Amino acid sequence: MNRTPLAFFARRVAAALVLILVVTTSAYVIARLAPGDETTTDFMAGVAADAIAARRAQLGLDDPLLVQTGRWLGGLLRLDLGTSSYFGRPVITLVTERGLNAAHLAATALLLATLLGLPLGVVTGAYPDRLVSRVVVALSLALVACPPLVAALGLMLFAVSTGMLSIAPGAIVLPALALGLPVAAMLERLQSQATQEAMLAPDLVAAAARGIPPARLVWRHAARQSLRPMLGVYGIVMGSLFSGSLAVELVTSWPGLGRLLYDAVLASDVTLVAGCVLAGAVCLAAGNLIADVARAIVDPRAAEAA
Amino acid sequence: MPEPRPNRSLLVVAVLALVLWVGWSYWPAGTPQPAGDEVAGAPVRGGQLRATYATEPTNFLRIAAPQPTAANLMFSALTQATLLRTDASGGLEPRLAERWSASPDGLTWTIDLRRDARFSDGTPVSSADVLFSMRAVLGTAAAADMRVGGQPLAVRAVDDHQVLLTFPAPHGPGLAILEHLPILPRHILEPALDAGQLTTIWAPSAPTLSVVGAGPFVLQEYIPAQRLRFVRNPHFFGRDDDGAALPYLDEIDMAIVPEANTELLRLQSGDADVITNFVAAEDLATLRQSEAEGRVQLTDAGPAVDVTTLWFNLRPGAAAGTARPWLLAPEFRRAISHAVNRQAIVDTVYLGEAILAYGPVTPGHGDWYVPDLPAAGFDVARARTLLTSMGLYDRNSDGMLDDESNQPVRFSIITRAGQAGFEKTMAVVQEHLRQVGVAVDVIALQQPEIISRYTSGDFDAIYFGGRATTRDPIGSMGFWMSSGAFHWWHPGQVTPATEWEARIDALMQQQAVTMDVAERRRLFAEAQHILAEQMPALWFVAPRQVVAVSGRVRGAVPQIFFPPVLWNAERLSLVAGGQ
Repeated sequence: MNRTPLAFFARRVAAALVLILVVTTSAYVIARLAPGDETTTDFMAGVAADAIAARRAQLGLDDPLLVQTGRWLGGLLRLDLGTSSYFGRPVITLVTERGLNAAHLAATALLLATLLGLPLGVVTGAYPDRLVSRVVVALSLALVACPPLVAALGLMLFAVSTGMLSIAPGAIVLPALALGLPVAAMLERLQSQATQEAMLAPDLVAAAARGIPPARLVWRHAARQSLRPMLGVYGIVMGSLFSGSLAVELVTSWPGLGRLLYDAVLASDVTLVAGCVLAGAVCLAAGNLIADVARAIVDPRAAEAA
Repeated sequence: MPEPRPNRSLLVVAVLALVLWVGWSYWPAGTPQPAGDEVAGAPVRGGQLRATYATEPTNFLRIAAPQPTAANLMFSALTQATLLRTDASGGLEPRLAERWSASPDGLTWTIDLRRDARFSDGTPVSSADVLFSMRAVLGTAAAADMRVGGQPLAVRAVDDHQVLLTFPAPHGPGLAILEHLPILPRHILEPALDAGQLTTIWAPSAPTLSVVGAGPFVLQEYIPAQRLRFVRNPHFFGRDDDGAALPYLDEIDMAIVPEANTELLRLQSGDADVITNFVAAEDLATLRQSEAEGRVQLTDAGPAVDVTTLWFNLRPGAAAGTARPWLLAPEFRRAISHAVNRQAIVDTVYLGEAILAYGPVTPGHGDWYVPDLPAAGFDVARARTLLTSMGLYDRNSDGMLDDESNQPVRFSIITRAGQAGFEKTMAVVQEHLRQVGVAVDVIALQQPEIISRYTSGDFDAIYFGGRATTRDPIGSMGFWMSSGAFHWWHPGQVTPATEWEARIDALMQQQAVTMDVAERRRLFAEAQHILAEQMPALWFVAPRQVVAVSGRVRGAVPQIFFPPVLWNAERLSLVAGGQ
């Protein structure tokens, strides 16, 4: 069977599109089936019953679920995600605005996590008995175990009590640390494990026996070999980071996708909920796609096996 | 094998890159400006107030917003002016209207506008703007605010600075109805209204500087979901007691901070002067320490006016009452009222920062409050007697009551998830009722599901409530009238189901059209007495509404409605040096 790189890429893109469609449509249907709709808060605000009825008709909420879903899917094909009932603005505009913010934060957090996590993982994997390794491992375990909300609140407390980190609107360091440090810890743990395994591989043992300098052995050969399993993890990490983190965005007031989704859910704004989930699914699928392609480049056997 | 050493140059590069990236976006966008010169005894002019707000406006034109949100109200209070408004004590305060007088029948009001009032672009405010504003509001979902008995108010201009307002029917609150009417710039908005584009002209995506109003501040900068920056409106009509121009502040820098704990942290650290909401009881202890250090000022704005209600499903044919008829009995509700120790809720849930409540009207409602209503206070023996008289007693010696069909006396209470006060109060109620043998299942749900269960009638009891926007009983007609959507226990009645509800309907309708305030109070007091006797629902406590501002804020007069501090932003000032 001829498994060309192009065919591999096409299969992955098709799978990503199916994933996006299924996830987003499911989100729309589930949100529609959940109690409450766009007029629920109107009711509590004391809006007159006839005004609510008119708004329901305007939004098409009295139509059968199948009709509403079909209408939404038709819009999706035209890249028209509808209008947010809460914000009164096109969903695609809102999602794009917040998506760019989320991407800015995610890229910063990912860079931070990579620059910290991978080198430290190599160090702790190659030199597990050193004091620095023990300290790093302890910190990593604490960060991995710490819920994002607690980590974000802890950093916020540190920021306001020391004044060392800006909490001004739009300042990115605090949210990037809150989002990136746990990921850095996770990468460190995975990289450490992968490095340890690579160091025991027969080719590295043979290389060491041939007298290759230890630093070169670790930072060139072991680090490169251990990158391969890390690439798969990167796809998931990128997807989850780019689709937003509710806890971090709420605590640090970062205007990303997670916060938008939170507002949408509170307002029972179903079209906006679906739009946010769509953006999240796109990020997740894109992250996996990039990781798959990268893995295929590093290890062509992976593409052939897929 | 010799132990390999890490490649230090790679580490150095990694650390340098990290430092550069961090440094690129580390420094804050700006630092707060110190206030200007202080004259002894007089408020300081100038300076930047740093506020936080949990949400952002969904439309800069409040009446055009898809939903009436607290953020829209806040934005309108800062940038738009009304003819008059209710002050913190409940009286009417002139704004764009300088004076007013009523015809003998109270139906027609002559309103004189200030001659020095201008919009933020320098255009004078005139009668034409009042007429335009009325026309604009009547075309939106906010039209109900400007209707009496379903009919719109009529307004016509006598001259450029005098209008004649005619009510279609007598209206008890009189001109207070106008506090819901922002006076909008006709010269800016009329083309949009004629083109059917009122909802988009000042949408948040519109150019910021296009927003024009007669309020104390003007929107200068808007970064979606991050911040709003307001600067003083140089044409604002307000003057202080010495005749000096208001507002005192130069700017308000408002960060959008959706998380309440983060808002408090910012307040305590001095990064915020004003926050969105009242302070939760559990946060008061920490803030009192900050208050002692001079970093925070706390003010008790009084007991809440929107008391959370426990109501039962008394609709005819409701499944809950059909299977368990004792759920519908007034004696059962009275027994519950006696069984619950309200003081324990005050002490444990609200840490002493609440008062006992036996009805929906609290001292926070001012003169509308009736202190001597009949109350079914804490009396466990009386509760047990009442339950026994209903045939509810322990038939199988398991310590819990059973009804005549040997079914346990058990019902569910739905309450709002994520609201600590709601869930904790219900936990106390659950325990107190268990002590008299009544089992309660507390179900915490999100607001949309609660409303769905309420409107469909699928519940035994609900502990929930809405947000009040006025002390006047006219604002709670939906609760008092048997036809109302918020007549919680049996909403939307075509004709009153009971004699006492018919009597309350009559009293409320009468007070709504009575112009004499004392007579309105008498009528409303009678309605409260009937409600207290019949007890279709239960109330337990009214939390104290404590407002926190930073130590450098002066002139704050907190009120119990939203926005609690910024409603009077033109009189806020900062101490000299901003500290």
